[in-house]
Amino acid sequence: MPIYLYIEGESWLHRLHPVVKVWALFAAFWSVYWVDQPLALVPLGLLMTVAAQAGGAWANFYRLRYLFAGVVFFTALSWMVFYRQGTPLIDTPLVRVSRASLLFGFGRGLKLAELLGTSVLFLSSTKIEEFGAGLTRLGVPYRVGFAITLAFRLVPLFIDSALTVVQAQRLRGYEFRRGGPLARMRRYVPVVVPVFMEALRKANAMAMALEARGFGAGGRPTSLIDRELRRSDRMAVALLGGLAVAYFLIYYAGYGAIRPD
Amino acid sequence: MKELGSMWQDSRMVVLCAISAALYAAVLVPFKVVPFIPGITELRPANAIPVVCSFLFGPAAAWGAAIGNLIGDFFGGVGPGDIFGFAGNLVYGYVPYKLWEIVASGRPPLPRSAADFLRYALVCLAASLLCADLIGWGDNMLALRPFGVLGNIIVVNNMLAALVLSPLLLLAVYPRVERGRLLYRDILGVAQRRPGGLMQAVGVVLLLCGELGAWLVGNLVSTGRLNLGLLPASLMRPPYDAAVALGVAPFLLAAVGGLALL
Repeated sequence: MPIYLYIEGESWLHRLHPVVKVWALFAAFWSVYWVDQPLALVPLGLLMTVAAQAGGAWANFYRLRYLFAGVVFFTALSWMVFYRQGTPLIDTPLVRVSRASLLFGFGRGLKLAELLGTSVLFLSSTKIEEFGAGLTRLGVPYRVGFAITLAFRLVPLFIDSALTVVQAQRLRGYEFRRGGPLARMRRYVPVVVPVFMEALRKANAMAMALEARGFGAGGRPTSLIDRELRRSDRMAVALLGGLAVAYFLIYYAGYGAIRPD
Repeated sequence: MKELGSMWQDSRMVVLCAISAALYAAVLVPFKVVPFIPGITELRPANAIPVVCSFLFGPAAAWGAAIGNLIGDFFGGVGPGDIFGFAGNLVYGYVPYKLWEIVASGRPPLPRSAADFLRYALVCLAASLLCADLIGWGDNMLALRPFGVLGNIIVVNNMLAALVLSPLLLLAVYPRVERGRLLYRDILGVAQRRPGGLMQAVGVVLLLCGELGAWLVGNLVSTGRLNLGLLPASLMRPPYDAAVALGVAPFLLAAVGGLALL
């Protein structure tokens, strides 16, 4: 089961320093925060599409196309319940559709889709080790960064072992699809318990293996990924900074807001 | 709350934190493929894991819940709201064992009698409410999703998993972990706390009143049913981002303050 979005490659996106990629996440969050107007969000969306094509991440965008569409649609719908502004086109006790609520809902949906796009770009081009190194470089304590990367590594192992248990239970005639949603949910308990116990059996051995390799011995641990910022990284930081400033200026000039009337 | 910091000194707790996070994410990620409401939430049977792990691994499970949710979010889109997702899940993993120590007088968290099940349900409700408050408040403040949607979906999702799945998992797993001396009390070498003490009582009251107040005010303000007279009229307009942020914050502060006193 392919749960990771990482796509092997040597594109400019892959070669960016992990800290710059974390900065890119922040710049994207900052940019979409200031604007609600869908038109103002379009340039960022286009920029992301170009980056996905040029950075070799497009396959993941295509794979998740229905999720992107769903995010925009359902977010727009939920805001139509709460954003009761503007002259109504349809007015019911629950949903009030107006030009303003359509624009507002669509804008917020687009925002979330662009945030999803940023994370897809990040995950498509960043290995877990790079992410861990980036976190440590940003000042996250080594042990916390280690726990995050170890957890990332364990996820596919646990999923694989759960799938093995499911197959074994099926062979013994256990029916996972019988009953309503709650009954089906409960039927997965016999799958989770062996995975849980297997994981706990490993816990002591893992802790000993870590300590045998000097985990917790003190001092600053070194990392295999320990490279300096290059010229291209600095340029990317500057461009992303420019993008963040531009979006703040759009907000400041009043072009990012939606006026109900 | 100091054990949230001191647990990082113990290698076994670090490993248990990673295991809790990975177990949570391993159940979370497959359900990301079939979101319940895309962009808002998905069906989350995985929410049973932080509760179970909380009773077993204490502070390691709290961090595990936060990290596991972060990993899950990486597969459904990370965003600034994940900061609040991190904090919300941290308390979702922290509150159950902490409150259980107070309300259950040293009994194992196995809801075998009606009274124990009621205690267990209240502890889970307290954890779910604070988690929902923090995430709903943060996401509404960041202009991403309305409190009235997210704040309620999280409570329902968490309670469903905690009441339907967690008790079964606990009954199967807790006695084995206890025999294997892998409970957080055994690893950290802390004795079972006795309930009582004025500070603890104040903490519980602050926590419960704060989180219930935050949930009510968040819902009422985000749906336009409550007008906070202290705030300027310009803030009391849809989408109520600033109004929710300012109206809910004092209650959240009280709840977190109460948590610190437990």
